[in-house]
Amino acid sequence: MTAEQRTMPSAGALPALRWVLRVQRRALVGWGIALAGVTALYVSFWPAMGETAELQALIDSLPEAMVTAMGYDAIGSPAGYLESTVYALLAPILMLVFGLGLGARLIAGEEEAGGLELEGTGPLARARLLLERYLVLVIAIVWLAVIVGGVSLGLVRALDMEVGTGPLIGATAGLLLLVLAMSSVTFAIGAATGRRALALAVGATVTVLGYIVDALAPLVDDGAWLQQLSPFHWYLGNDPLNEGLGLAGAGALLALTVVSLVVAVVAYDRRDLGV
Amino acid sequence: MNPAIRTEGLIKDYGRGARRVRALDGLDLEVAHGEVFGFLGPNGAGKSTTIRVLLDQLRPTAGHAEVFGTPPRAGGPQQRARIGYLPGELAMTGRATAGELLHHLARLRGGAGAQRIGELATRLSLDLDRPIRSLSKGNKQKVGVIQAFLHRPELLILDEPTSGLDPLLQQEFLAMVREAQADGATIFMSSHVLSEVEVIAERVAIVRAGRIVDLDDVATLRHHAGQRVELHFADPVDVGDFDGLPGVSDIEVADHHLSCLLRGEPDQLLKVAARSHVRRWSAEDRELEDLFLDHYRVPVSEEEVTDDDR
Repeated sequence: MTAEQRTMPSAGALPALRWVLRVQRRALVGWGIALAGVTALYVSFWPAMGETAELQALIDSLPEAMVTAMGYDAIGSPAGYLESTVYALLAPILMLVFGLGLGARLIAGEEEAGGLELEGTGPLARARLLLERYLVLVIAIVWLAVIVGGVSLGLVRALDMEVGTGPLIGATAGLLLLVLAMSSVTFAIGAATGRRALALAVGATVTVLGYIVDALAPLVDDGAWLQQLSPFHWYLGNDPLNEGLGLAGAGALLALTVVSLVVAVVAYDRRDLGV
Repeated sequence: MNPAIRTEGLIKDYGRGARRVRALDGLDLEVAHGEVFGFLGPNGAGKSTTIRVLLDQLRPTAGHAEVFGTPPRAGGPQQRARIGYLPGELAMTGRATAGELLHHLARLRGGAGAQRIGELATRLSLDLDRPIRSLSKGNKQKVGVIQAFLHRPELLILDEPTSGLDPLLQQEFLAMVREAQADGATIFMSSHVLSEVEVIAERVAIVRAGRIVDLDDVATLRHHAGQRVELHFADPVDVGDFDGLPGVSDIEVADHHLSCLLRGEPDQLLKVAARSHVRRWSAEDRELEDLFLDHYRVPVSEEEVTDDDR
């Protein structure tokens, strides 16, 4: 051991992570409240909407293709209603808006603003700094998914809706993995290029394309293979609120996340920073 | 012992293809341990690029750079733990207060120097309870200076350290540099104004278009720069009287007025001038920009350098 290694103090437990969490705490609380509110609002409409036959009658009157595209096939059942309103629509949209934005900001946005110059020239390895910031993304998305799952579970119980706890937890895990995967893609592009707008544009494009493909592929002849490419299908393909999260889908989302993270670490370690 | 900083044929290009720009073009530099070294050049000459290579923010296109004998990338976190760095462009935003940011930066260094935050803030009269985003440029610069000195680093790399600091604080800053040097630290500071570094630096390198064009101790450099002397006489003077005086060049005579460039002692020039009736005179140190302009144009012979007034 050399003299300098002996005198070098340890960096303490995850200092960069704690700092970013602290800076982001207002945003995390705000988004948590918003998601809890939206989830509670929609689930509590169930007794008024779903339990009467009117909703199903309305759906029946719509063109079949439209119903399929909107994913409203089973909106008349409690699980179908929960999926159509919260799990396949509002929760992913809100969480993706948040996750993609944060993913683009954590490295690329901070770097463009010059905010990483002091942290990055301190005694943290680049990979370490990147991983601590990535953990902020994971923690934030887990936090929001737990809120959506917790509020849903609470109201499902309170309103006596026929939705199994197991599938609900599985669907929540799927929601978490979907948002984490797309946010990780955005994070990785930001880490590889240092350009926030580019990261956000690519991340959002991939996400929207995935959504469109998942919604429209069933309407196309032989569209099933196309649907297999969509992260939204990986999440929703197994009918998670009835059947639980599909293992293949979960694996695909996890794989996309891990690949993104590896790309982020390798690319960030190699390139010029702050140019 | 390895030099604190050494670069050899350092080349750095930005961009690719047709948009490729060469920021460093074979930069050679050596800074000894315990030295106060000034790194001078106009904006865009490559000062910040060099510095950011030393801190492993940028990777060299070609050539070699080392700090404490190890290339920055290989030196990694252990190497950077021994460096204090003040960026040339300090970007600080957010609701956190100056004190919170400084404590955070100290935590990144395992808490090194956290106990000095209060003391240094008092010295530079920085209010630690103000949110960073509400700080003026000068106050942000104080935060930058403090975080660089906090952990008593062996090497201080300061990019335009006095920009934004008022004269009183510049004095305090210079005192901090002297103390760090007395503790054995090496100080490498950049500037685009010679007067900023000449009071403290022992040696100065001048960088221009990505190369070192001059490397000397401050007195020699000052001699190179010379002074612009203006003399107003009561009667017209003859240019022939002033031609060939030691250290005098670029003489221009217009009627009652004489202007020239003086390098070295003014003795002979004054004696000749005193033969006539001098109404007014001035002698101004020339700016660094002037030095760049005539750096290659006016050769300064060895004798002139050695028999000057240092």
